[in-house]
Amino acid sequence: MKIKNIYLLILVLGVLVSSCELPDNVDPKAATDVPAETILTNALRDGLNLIDNMSQNTNVSRMLCQYIGMTQYTEPSRYEFSDRSIQDSYWNTTYLTLNDFKEVKMLIQDLSGSDAFNRMNANRLAIVDIMEVLLYHNLVDIVGGVPYTEALGGFDNKTPVYDDQVAIYTDLQARLTADIATLTAGINDGSWGAEDLVFQGDVAMWKKFAATVKARLGMRLADVNPSTAQAELAAAITAGMLEAGEAMQLPWFGSSPHNNTIYTMFAGGREDYGPANTIVDMMNDLGDARLPAFFTQTDTSTEVGVEKLAYVGIPYGEITVPYNSISHFSDASFEASFPATFACHAEVQFILAEAAARGWTTPLTAQEHYEAGIAESHAFWGVTVPAGYLALPDVAWDNARNKELIGTQKWLALYNRGQEGWCVWRSFDWPVLNPPPDLSYTDIPFRMPYPYNEPDLNPDNYANAASAVGGDNVRTRLFWDATDGTPNPSPSF
Amino acid sequence: MKRFVFVLSLLLFAGFSALQGQGVQVTGNVTGADDGTALPGVSVVVRGTTIGAVTDFEGNYSITVPDASATLMFSFVGMLTQEVALDGQTSLDVVLESTSTELDEVVVTALGVSREKKSLGYSVQEIDGDAVNSSSPSNFAASLSGKISGVQIKQPNTMGGSSNVLIRGSTSLTGNNQPLYVLDGVPVDNSNYASNNGNYGGGFDYGNVAQDINPNDIESISVLKGAAASALYGSRAANGVILITTKKGKTRKGIGVSVNSNFVVGKVDKSTLPKQQYEYGAGYGPFGEDPDYSNFWWGDVDGDGANDYITITADDASWGQKFDPNLMVVHWDALDPSASNYGEKRPWVAPPEGNRFDSFFETNTKWVNTVAFDGGNKDGRFRLSYTNYSEKGFLPNSELKKNSVNFSGSYNFSKKLSVSANVSYTYQNALGRMGTGYDGGNVMQSFGQWFQTNVDFTRLEQYESPTGLHRTWNYAYWTPDRLSPIYFDNPYWVRYKNYEDDYRSRVLGYVSADYKFTDWLTLTLRTAVDTYHDVQNERLAEGSNGISDFTTRQRNLLESNTDVMLKFNKGFGQISLNGLVGANYRHRQQQRITGSTVGGLVVPEFYSVTNSVDPYNVSEYLGILGEQSAYANVSVGYGGFVYLEGTARVDQSSTLRGLNPDAEDTYFYPSVAGTLLIHELGGLKDVSWMNYLKLRLNYAQVGAGTGVYRTISTYGQGTNWGNLSLFSVANTLQNPNLKSENTSSLEAGIEAFFFESRVGIDLAVYKTNSFDQIFSVPVSRASGYNSMYVNGGEVENKGLEIALHLVPVKTADWQWNIDVNWFTNQNTVISLAEGVPSLQLMRQWGTYITAAAGEPYGTIKGTNYVYTDGKITVEDNGYLMVGDDPLEVIGNIQPDWNMGIASRLSWKGLSFYALVDWQHGGDISSFNTRYGWATGVYAETAGNNPKGNPQRDPVADGGGNIFEGAVFEDGTPNDVYVPAFRWGRYWHYGNSPEARYVFDASYIKLRELSLSYALPATVLGDSFIRGVNISVVGRNLWIIHKNVEHFDPEIMYTAGNMQGIENGAIPSLKSVGVNVKLDF
Repeated sequence: MKIKNIYLLILVLGVLVSSCELPDNVDPKAATDVPAETILTNALRDGLNLIDNMSQNTNVSRMLCQYIGMTQYTEPSRYEFSDRSIQDSYWNTTYLTLNDFKEVKMLIQDLSGSDAFNRMNANRLAIVDIMEVLLYHNLVDIVGGVPYTEALGGFDNKTPVYDDQVAIYTDLQARLTADIATLTAGINDGSWGAEDLVFQGDVAMWKKFAATVKARLGMRLADVNPSTAQAELAAAITAGMLEAGEAMQLPWFGSSPHNNTIYTMFAGGREDYGPANTIVDMMNDLGDARLPAFFTQTDTSTEVGVEKLAYVGIPYGEITVPYNSISHFSDASFEASFPATFACHAEVQFILAEAAARGWTTPLTAQEHYEAGIAESHAFWGVTVPAGYLALPDVAWDNARNKELIGTQKWLALYNRGQEGWCVWRSFDWPVLNPPPDLSYTDIPFRMPYPYNEPDLNPDNYANAASAVGGDNVRTRLFWDATDGTPNPSPSF
Repeated sequence: MKRFVFVLSLLLFAGFSALQGQGVQVTGNVTGADDGTALPGVSVVVRGTTIGAVTDFEGNYSITVPDASATLMFSFVGMLTQEVALDGQTSLDVVLESTSTELDEVVVTALGVSREKKSLGYSVQEIDGDAVNSSSPSNFAASLSGKISGVQIKQPNTMGGSSNVLIRGSTSLTGNNQPLYVLDGVPVDNSNYASNNGNYGGGFDYGNVAQDINPNDIESISVLKGAAASALYGSRAANGVILITTKKGKTRKGIGVSVNSNFVVGKVDKSTLPKQQYEYGAGYGPFGEDPDYSNFWWGDVDGDGANDYITITADDASWGQKFDPNLMVVHWDALDPSASNYGEKRPWVAPPEGNRFDSFFETNTKWVNTVAFDGGNKDGRFRLSYTNYSEKGFLPNSELKKNSVNFSGSYNFSKKLSVSANVSYTYQNALGRMGTGYDGGNVMQSFGQWFQTNVDFTRLEQYESPTGLHRTWNYAYWTPDRLSPIYFDNPYWVRYKNYEDDYRSRVLGYVSADYKFTDWLTLTLRTAVDTYHDVQNERLAEGSNGISDFTTRQRNLLESNTDVMLKFNKGFGQISLNGLVGANYRHRQQQRITGSTVGGLVVPEFYSVTNSVDPYNVSEYLGILGEQSAYANVSVGYGGFVYLEGTARVDQSSTLRGLNPDAEDTYFYPSVAGTLLIHELGGLKDVSWMNYLKLRLNYAQVGAGTGVYRTISTYGQGTNWGNLSLFSVANTLQNPNLKSENTSSLEAGIEAFFFESRVGIDLAVYKTNSFDQIFSVPVSRASGYNSMYVNGGEVENKGLEIALHLVPVKTADWQWNIDVNWFTNQNTVISLAEGVPSLQLMRQWGTYITAAAGEPYGTIKGTNYVYTDGKITVEDNGYLMVGDDPLEVIGNIQPDWNMGIASRLSWKGLSFYALVDWQHGGDISSFNTRYGWATGVYAETAGNNPKGNPQRDPVADGGGNIFEGAVFEDGTPNDVYVPAFRWGRYWHYGNSPEARYVFDASYIKLRELSLSYALPATVLGDSFIRGVNISVVGRNLWIIHKNVEHFDPEIMYTAGNMQGIENGAIPSLKSVGVNVKLDF
């Protein structure tokens, strides 16, 4: 081999062993550092959107309490959940959103500065905490015990243990107590800004909302733990709940994807949802003034050239209902920016009415709170209570029928808030719902099953939780849903 | 880009100049027997010595021999080695015969190195390029089906759609399991850009981009099956390698011209279409308003003051009124006030044959024309080809066009330095690809599941009113204000309004320089680049069901590979030594920008992202990957009967780097292979009936990195809320501690030929284990994440492959060859990550395709039947009982075995070929069947019941349907008839066990039938035409057997691992093509 060849060979071998610089593995198009505010906005949006959502794939609470029904694809309204894994979807979004709130806390909790700053920061943390409480209580109210203390562990805990539902409720109440105290101390110190889509950082409003949720959770225990319920309610009254005309709402931005759920569901032209006959028939019977605020009328005439408008609901759970023959949601609720509501003064009044009916200390009498609740709901929907409404046999206050009356009117007042509407039916056992054809009253769910992927992904803890909750089926009552000796009315269907 | 410019300039500046020969004692010329052209590069060796020479580019050689009685051995790739005794001659011309048996076959192996097949300790199978080209001019991968054992191919039924190629089973849990495609030694990108791989499908199948390789430029394809064969390619070769060798110029006089024309006509195979019933029309049942039948709407359309029967257009089902020519009904097409027949009443009858849904499909045509020029002398060779491909799809408004130019050239600068380069440019544009899956964009979703059998397709063709409004059979209601689609668009509207278009321009090329230090040591430097720009535009027109939309995706890819290799090949007496040492640097940059309108289009039918009602969405992706590797391969042979080969490779991958400074980004893996040629052993050499008997054994490992950016977590970004930005913690948790994946495989094989090579067998057994897999594992969402990247899991594939070659007839004029390929692959998921018992690969409603520890990959799960004494059990009311476990095993996507039987009968220049492709076993869950039964569209839901009465009559009148053969819980036979409607779907779609819709996916297909004729040289004589080849090729002409009624069991749901599901199955094509090849 010639000399120059050897040089060439050495050169090549040099290339072989030398090393080029490899690119780092950092995604240039994804952020690794973002302001906490941007995560808060996202989490508020996702979390509240979930509770308000009405997709048949995610949140069917409006169907479970029969505000609405579906035509054509009626599985969810007939309590067949597995095909769409509805509870998986709800549960998944809850935890992903909680992880965002956790991240917000993580990013700001170690910040410190002036006293004013520290109080402001404490307010921020308290607001995030209130939102976490809201998400957890909604999830627990759907399924029962869920992963709580071991949740959100990432790599460290892929299979978190489920906490007992009572223990979670107790802790949520304690957190609300602490949050209210923090907000009281820093009431004038500011918190979040525009990124708080709900109250724009209004600390006083967050505090009222926290107190309202505290009362809500407290009253859930009225049947099973009356002393705690009374104490919680008293604390909420002291802290100050949402007042007349006030509500905790997400005013939707009104541009995709930040639109209200009714707009989102129907803007694409689908025609398979509508009001259920359960609510429409009842409101027709009562001549309820809120009907035009809730629904549209449809032409029920069978004569050519004659129009006969009426409010008609979907016979609940029926397979095929001609879409043109039923009412739809009102034009106002179709607006893309129509706000979603999560707490309001009417709810406060009905909570107080229930407490008063039990003989607990409240500002006014049971009847006064009850009637104030009705009036507040009408006002909320922009109508006035028709003359004689409060004297109707099915409306007029009668302490002996307090469960039926409060249950029914609260259910009407919480229309379009499926999660709380379903809680009303479960805690009051009123109003009377319509079992779907071929099913009976005793098929109507008290809870949703756990997610279908939990037995797969977290089998041992799931099995324990399923037995702890009393069996993973839809007819297991949650701990606060005591029958109080009065079985659900079982009309002969 | 720089490298590409380099390739181009090299091609431009390459000229042709002369090179001097050498003076010698023995000289001569070597030509090939086939075409008489000179053979350059033939090795000439003096027997028993190490004296050797190589023929130059005109086939000339000169060699100094020790004495005139020496014997010269002439050997060349693909030719029979010839030994000639000199007997004093000093001038010797030799004609080499091409290899007539596989005994001395030379195959292309890893890194483009040609090797004698007999020396290989692993399994390689080769296919001739012409076979590919004439049978499947659109997608070369599809033509391999049934021809290579161990390779399972799923065909694209859509125009330009993906083909799924699986070599020796699925090894990766969540990877795409596709082989690596290598063109002349250079890896080719094979990304798949199906626009939606989501569970329920939808979007368009844009095909896998390896299809850009022009079949007309393919000389041959080698399939490297085991890890040992592919160990040198590293990471990407874990699923096997498909090596493509392109055609090159030949040394010849003048310029050779070759013209190839291919015309293929295809028709939809009706046996793969849903079988609909034509006894009953629209409706979900008697829920209508009319007082007589309750199967119609009831209103005054024609304005005569009396109500009319109106088709319930809103119902996407056919449980309605029995057809009756005396019943006058306003059909869907008479509801539009702008229609000339507004308010018209017509008899309630099924459309006549020819106006039914099958008339929607058009004839598929493909025109492929290629012209190629080639030439060469002792200094250089070139080939230039141009191919024009033009396809009209079988759906209205679909076409695919491709133009490819390929240039390859080589030039010898000196005796030591030679340079070669290859560049191909492809421009492809398509319009109106077919939608896929459970989506309105796929017309089969409606035809196969949700439809009204009363719809006349000639009337559907008027899909638009004079004012541009959408006319569809599925109006929300009959009144003029409600004439919009409730669920389904008119299929013609789908095709002509909601069409996609896409284009891709791609440059693929390499330049390679060889420097010969000595006759046994060569240095090769090669750099290759693969780059393309790909654009997809998707539309949803205003007036469609859904919010109007425009989405565009623009992708750029740039991948470069640079290799430095030192190759050696030397003999020391009985010992032969060959191998290489090399290094590779790979850089890959993939960019994507997606823009889409949000909330609808402002101006209808103006398709621009900025024409958006709400602020439009734009997202960007940039993936940058780098890998560098060093590798070595040594093969030692002794006495021509035993060979031992080893490879070693070390890779460093950027994908394993992250914030962790101790990340193990470098990994090593070896392979060893041994070969024993028993027929060469002492006493066995003279056994006349045994021509060839080879044993081979190998063990190999292949390591792999992973995808980019899996080690560092980042935030996800949502759409702004006004001027507020939204970020969230990503749903997938990345893992900073990832290590390389590994595959190890053990393979043993026997190759044998007996009785003058009339009987041959090639047998392989293998076991492949893929472990430490990197995949995103779903976790309990209560962890805060949907999924996390982990290293873990092991998948085992065990298999047996048998290839049998028979030559029952062989005379001077006649030859009959039979080739049988049979293989089976047993797949088991040994483990997943710790604490992860099961991985969901796909889910559709209650049916899951899973990978779970202890089960085969692709196990189908869902609710099962309840069995009593092995019989399906029904409730007392006659409905199917459903098992409690929502995740019972109800099937598996893996076939038991596959077989291809090919027969070629030739007589002189005439050759007749038939290929039967057989899959036995494997299951498929059919959603068409599930919904076709539920909606009363399918034939089984009409006609008579076993009692001989119309099944749709009331049960009380002797109608209804029954689950035949089922028993009650006490074991007595089921005798309860249920209403036909309830038989189809009970109350709801999900009330039957999922197992009811799982079917055996076995099939036997006549895959290919061809007749070809090569004009004998005597006819052509001295004319300027040197060769004429004519062939007629039929593909998929006959499905000889299948066990499913309404679709092709071979259907591919979508690209990638999501198999075992049929949903909106696209019918298969039967095609016949004529191929004419002229050589001048």
